[in-house]
Amino acid sequence: MKNNQMNQTAVHILLILLSAACLFPFLLLFMASFTDEQSIVKDGYTLFPSRLSFAAYDYLWNQASTMTRAYGITIFITAVGTFVGLLISSLLAYPLSRKDMPVRGFLAFVVFFTLLFNGGLVPTYLVYTELFHMKNSLLALIVPGLLTNGFFVLLIRSFFSTSIPVPIIESAYIDGASEFKIFYRIVLPLSLPILATIGLMLTISYWNDWFNGLIYITEPKLFSIQNLLNRMLSNIQFLQQNSLGGNASAAAATIPMNSVRMAMAVIGIVPIVCIYPFFQKYFVKGLTIGAVKG
Amino acid sequence: MNKHFGKFGWGTGAILALSLALSACGGSNGSNASAGTAGAAGSSASKPVELTMAYMNFGTTTDLQAVQDEISKITKEKINATVKLMPIDVAAWQQQVNLLLAGNENLDLLVTSSFYNYSSQVAKNQLIPLDDLLAQYGTGIKDTMNEKIYNGTKIDGKIYGVPSVRDTAADYGMLMRKDLVDKYGIDLNSLQSFEDLGSVFQTIKDKEPGIIPLVQNTTSQTVASIMYNKDIDLLGDGLGAMLINKNDLKVVNMFDTREYKDAIAQARKWYETGYIMQDAATTQESGNSLVKAGKAFGYLSNMKPGFEQQDSKADGREMVAARFTQPVTQSTSANGFMLSIPRNSRNPERAMQLMNLLYTDKDIVNLLDNGIEGKHYVKNADGTIKMPDGAAQGYLFNQWEVGNNALAGVWEGTPADIWEQMKKFNDSAIFSKALGFTFDASPVKTEVAAATNVLNQYKVGLESGTLDPALLTEFNGKMKAAGLDRIIAEKQKQLDAWAAANAQ
Repeated sequence: MKNNQMNQTAVHILLILLSAACLFPFLLLFMASFTDEQSIVKDGYTLFPSRLSFAAYDYLWNQASTMTRAYGITIFITAVGTFVGLLISSLLAYPLSRKDMPVRGFLAFVVFFTLLFNGGLVPTYLVYTELFHMKNSLLALIVPGLLTNGFFVLLIRSFFSTSIPVPIIESAYIDGASEFKIFYRIVLPLSLPILATIGLMLTISYWNDWFNGLIYITEPKLFSIQNLLNRMLSNIQFLQQNSLGGNASAAAATIPMNSVRMAMAVIGIVPIVCIYPFFQKYFVKGLTIGAVKG
Repeated sequence: MNKHFGKFGWGTGAILALSLALSACGGSNGSNASAGTAGAAGSSASKPVELTMAYMNFGTTTDLQAVQDEISKITKEKINATVKLMPIDVAAWQQQVNLLLAGNENLDLLVTSSFYNYSSQVAKNQLIPLDDLLAQYGTGIKDTMNEKIYNGTKIDGKIYGVPSVRDTAADYGMLMRKDLVDKYGIDLNSLQSFEDLGSVFQTIKDKEPGIIPLVQNTTSQTVASIMYNKDIDLLGDGLGAMLINKNDLKVVNMFDTREYKDAIAQARKWYETGYIMQDAATTQESGNSLVKAGKAFGYLSNMKPGFEQQDSKADGREMVAARFTQPVTQSTSANGFMLSIPRNSRNPERAMQLMNLLYTDKDIVNLLDNGIEGKHYVKNADGTIKMPDGAAQGYLFNQWEVGNNALAGVWEGTPADIWEQMKKFNDSAIFSKALGFTFDASPVKTEVAAATNVLNQYKVGLESGTLDPALLTEFNGKMKAAGLDRIIAEKQKQLDAWAAANAQ
């Protein structure tokens, strides 16, 4: 018994150390965002800075209207993108999971094919801008993310075909339920773990997406938060490395560059860190079921 | 079962169709909005058009719309066109410009640069030759700059871009903290060459223990590079370079020249004596922020008139400069930043008229460069301009990119006659014989990639003094193995062809 307890303690200590190691960089990041710019240059990053300063957040606060707008855009595309993405993926995955579906193998291959090959950047860009005229619209931030998730479709399909017994579907059919009713009254409620998992993945990918914004958006009022932060960061870096004429260099000198970077990272991740715990319980379950049995 | 599936399939189809229809309608259709009459002579200005101008952006664009409206008011009257400004952040520049030019979106004026694929844009036929348009609609442009610079952007004898009026030459020297220079009575006039700086560094090292005598402003402005830049024209990337004073258009391996060896030997000597920051080769901190934080005395830099004042703002301290060289115009000095008209332009004639205004119309230049008077700047009694008291920064433009900057108001703290000084400075420069040559690296892509890897491994180390110059042999050996000779041969071939085309 005593031995067991010792083991327990040892494992606990190990795990505590591990989680501390995971938390440490984040804590350092957090502290650095509150450190005075001059003391970062002088002493480097530390958990206990000699001088605290809110200059970085002050700088970002000055851009508050742009930031709030960008936040709004991100929240909107994340919500819409996740919802529509889940809908499309599960609607495609469900027939693929049904053994009585004609040309099932071929359709599954088509989905699988998109995982391996794509058109490349320039043709993709031309299709979205010249054919669908999505440049500088919110759709450009949502649609490309919806159509490139064959991996999610296959994950959901595996879940459907392994975890939903065919007899349940058949019995519902005998009771007179239509295909749609079966799908949303029986299949979807039984698939909550995988839906939550895919939902979380979609949420994270929409939240973190800056690349679509980078190529499709030139209108500043449509920048999402990650896109905006990425741009601000590179602009700051460029200003730092090049001395520019006019009043640009004077403007650059007033930006607390090191701490602003950290503050941006904090602002970018906080919301996603807040929602993560609510999804997590489904996350582990959904992922293992989808992967192991599939 | 099939029947039931049919129903389901219909539902899915309907949703898919709906989403596609939505996306098709939702687009802004912006690319078609300004389609004008490309064929009909724009000079008649019969039909109002919208001209889109894309430029590199780093700053604040909150009040962009207001500035754009003010500019459009003037252009509407003068050339019957409105202007749409399209700032593209430097983060997205390469990507978005590539895509813009690959597609068919309307774009009338574009900032181009030999550092950002100018030669390949011309090779891909994405920019149009400007000679005829300049002769017809852009007559005011030629007089605003040195003729050599104006002609310094030609490819195959044709002009594809017009340089902005800016500092097209650079001199090289040392920038130092004024308070320390005064404190130790350092006589700047006694400093005649880079070697003379040794005694200054010694003073700082002995008497100011917390302060590093010499740092690098960025890892591309290495200690040695500032010393050899007056002698060596990098011809773009430095893989195959030319000695400026030889005047012979011969491409050589710069890492094998006496000038290069002398420069890195000097850097090494300073590094070993402890004058140079120990981690100069790797630090991400700029010289500006190190000086600002009180950690450094100064840095070597390329300069121009008014450089001390400009960097004093960036460093948050008053700085003084010791200049050691004559101004030099390198091969890329003219085509470093230009305005071009892309093939996509629906109204090239009108675009050229707008370009002409950017070089001749004071009001437009001031609006574009500095914003709206009273809102973004106010005039001082001496003619310089400053930010209005208590105003938040609403508009920031990087004026060196575009147009005739000499027409723009000068910011407080910079000498009011800066542009006269600049003109003298530019004209007095030593012009590289290869001025205007741009290297198209595509035939030796593999070699360039391999050589760049070797370059990244050794260059900053050697040039900041961190590495022993004895490693130069090893460096050159690896460069040879990476195919430097083939790059040099290709560059020589292109340079000869360029010289022949321009001689006509």
